[in-house]
Amino acid sequence: MASSQHVLLSPAELSYLHSSLSLTPPIRPDGRSPTQYRPLSAETGILPGTNGSARICFADGTEAIVGVKAEVEKTKRRWDDDAIYSENQPTEGEGQQQPGRDGDNGEESGSSEWVELTVEIPGYRDDDSGTIFLGQMLSEALLADGGFVRKLRINRRFHWRLYLDILLISPPLSYPLPLLSLTTHLALLATRLPKLKSEGDEDPFFDDDWAAAPYLYPRDPSNKQKVVERPPVTLLVMAVGGNIIFDPSKEELAVADVALAVSIGDDASTAQQIQGGDKMDVDSFSHGSGSGRNLKLLSIRTVDPPSRLTPPGVANAANSAYGHAQVVSSAGAGGNSQKMPEARQTESEAVEGVWKPPRGGAKAIVMGALVQKVLIRGGVADEVLDALEGVDTS
Amino acid sequence: MDARPRHLHPPHTTAITSSLAGITTRTNKLISVRPLRARYTPEVGDLVVGRILEVQAKRWRVDVGSVQLAALPLSAINLPGGILRKRTETDELQIRTFFAEGDLLVAEVQQLFGDGAAVLHTRSLKYGKLRNGVFVAVSGMGGGGGVVRSRRQVWTMEGANNAGKMDVILGVNGYVWISKHVETPKEVEQKHMGITNLEENVSATVYSSQNDAIDGDTMREIARLRGVVTALVENGCRVDEDMVVRGYQEAVEMAMLSESGQEDIYLGGERGEQLAAALRGN
Repeated sequence: MASSQHVLLSPAELSYLHSSLSLTPPIRPDGRSPTQYRPLSAETGILPGTNGSARICFADGTEAIVGVKAEVEKTKRRWDDDAIYSENQPTEGEGQQQPGRDGDNGEESGSSEWVELTVEIPGYRDDDSGTIFLGQMLSEALLADGGFVRKLRINRRFHWRLYLDILLISPPLSYPLPLLSLTTHLALLATRLPKLKSEGDEDPFFDDDWAAAPYLYPRDPSNKQKVVERPPVTLLVMAVGGNIIFDPSKEELAVADVALAVSIGDDASTAQQIQGGDKMDVDSFSHGSGSGRNLKLLSIRTVDPPSRLTPPGVANAANSAYGHAQVVSSAGAGGNSQKMPEARQTESEAVEGVWKPPRGGAKAIVMGALVQKVLIRGGVADEVLDALEGVDTS
Repeated sequence: MDARPRHLHPPHTTAITSSLAGITTRTNKLISVRPLRARYTPEVGDLVVGRILEVQAKRWRVDVGSVQLAALPLSAINLPGGILRKRTETDELQIRTFFAEGDLLVAEVQQLFGDGAAVLHTRSLKYGKLRNGVFVAVSGMGGGGGVVRSRRQVWTMEGANNAGKMDVILGVNGYVWISKHVETPKEVEQKHMGITNLEENVSATVYSSQNDAIDGDTMREIARLRGVVTALVENGCRVDEDMVVRGYQEAVEMAMLSESGQEDIYLGGERGEQLAAALRGN
């Protein structure tokens, strides 16, 4: 069960929620529009001992902090490294096609082991499947296109090792994925690494002036606030009936037909896009350049919605405590056994006003619509990234 | 003697230090602190909304937002098919057909155990399983915010914009239920039947978990009302009949002024602050 935690709602509540979310337009219990996020407050640079940190607080009281720490680590030498050292430049052709080796001169890619990401949710063990799943999803988005670890390379012998500590401070009132992802995004934007003074492959030596330290995600030289490339964000999307709903709350997720975690990246530099384009086939979703951003699909995961584990409602017709049936059934045990076939019938047949948990997998057309809706230009993803851009990360 | 730890009580000072975060009120020499957040302390006669967490052999365990779970004995509910019926073994076997895990119910605190845990009863036609609506939990007994004990905890109000009537149940424990209005025994009686078969007819729907057909307009207004309650709590206002009714009227007017019109039911963030400010101003 790599899913959000189990919620306890009565069948009548579930049925009501499902029908109100299936209306056009859907009526969400908290009154938001289908694409609206919960209001949040955000700040960066809250932890003085880290290379970068951020805190986000949702209006419903859920709060997360993320700290990023970096340390220098010696890059493990590979079996064929000697050949490269002796020649002092990589040779073209023979045996260079393996992953991690396709970079051009000096522009080698890194290893995903350079990033260590831990998620902590209060009340859950750190080896709980849900917690591990969250961590996997967040690190997957970050490492998907290999561009991030490339930033951590110092020279051929050394690299930065990055520790991302993601902490949910409040109890998980709703599925915390969007919150953790947004906080990680901000923390990475605020992350700075000491300025390198040494050159080439010698032992790294850094400038001890923190003010000169460059950002991990470089800023536009002309405009200090503008970030050229941005870390990924993971959005939680769900479908109920014919409606697509963003940032679902716990109750809404409990009646979801399908829930998806979609990670998207923002590529402002087109050069980057061309470079990554041939490696990732999911990039075919990315939109053409022009005004606005180039949203790039990094990864998709289906989240098992808790709706499948909810108890089904009992229709009045099959309810032995409904009406006067009880008088008959309590007269003898025979009345009870008669109820059994009816109870089975309610499992298969849909009755208006009675909750029936969704069965079976998601339809391909629904999945397609969900992804399309995330990546649409000027859509929710753009809004979220715009809002995050407004946060002061310096 | 002062038994508090040293660090809470600085030496060489006579100043009084509170061990609780909250709002202080002073009556002559008595200083009392109303906590910002506290769990519900049950009292006999309280109307509470609860959720079944456990089903045991002869009773249910109910979450009422208190420190302990409340108990609802099988003997304290109305059995279907007439109130004055003897409880049988079949009833014990079929205990889940009355209330199962997750079900919401409205009940009254009948008595208290020595440790403060409550025993509930639903032996009135006013009480029973809840359906046709939405649940919202707000912290009860808070300093300034939350549900407070008041004269009326249950009322019916008219929905704006073509919506039907809505029932509101403010549990003293801070659990709130907002639903489509279902006719009360009295109204049914006035309409079309005598008192004799009244009990049987009403108790018929008591354990139903099937919702009635609800139109979109009513659903929208129920969501708006839920937004009002959460906005009141988020902005530290007390939640009672007067505030909720006034807040709802205010919210309807606010929606009228907004660009998307009556469809706009969002009351989070700044909208909620605006609503609370308008209510305080009155």
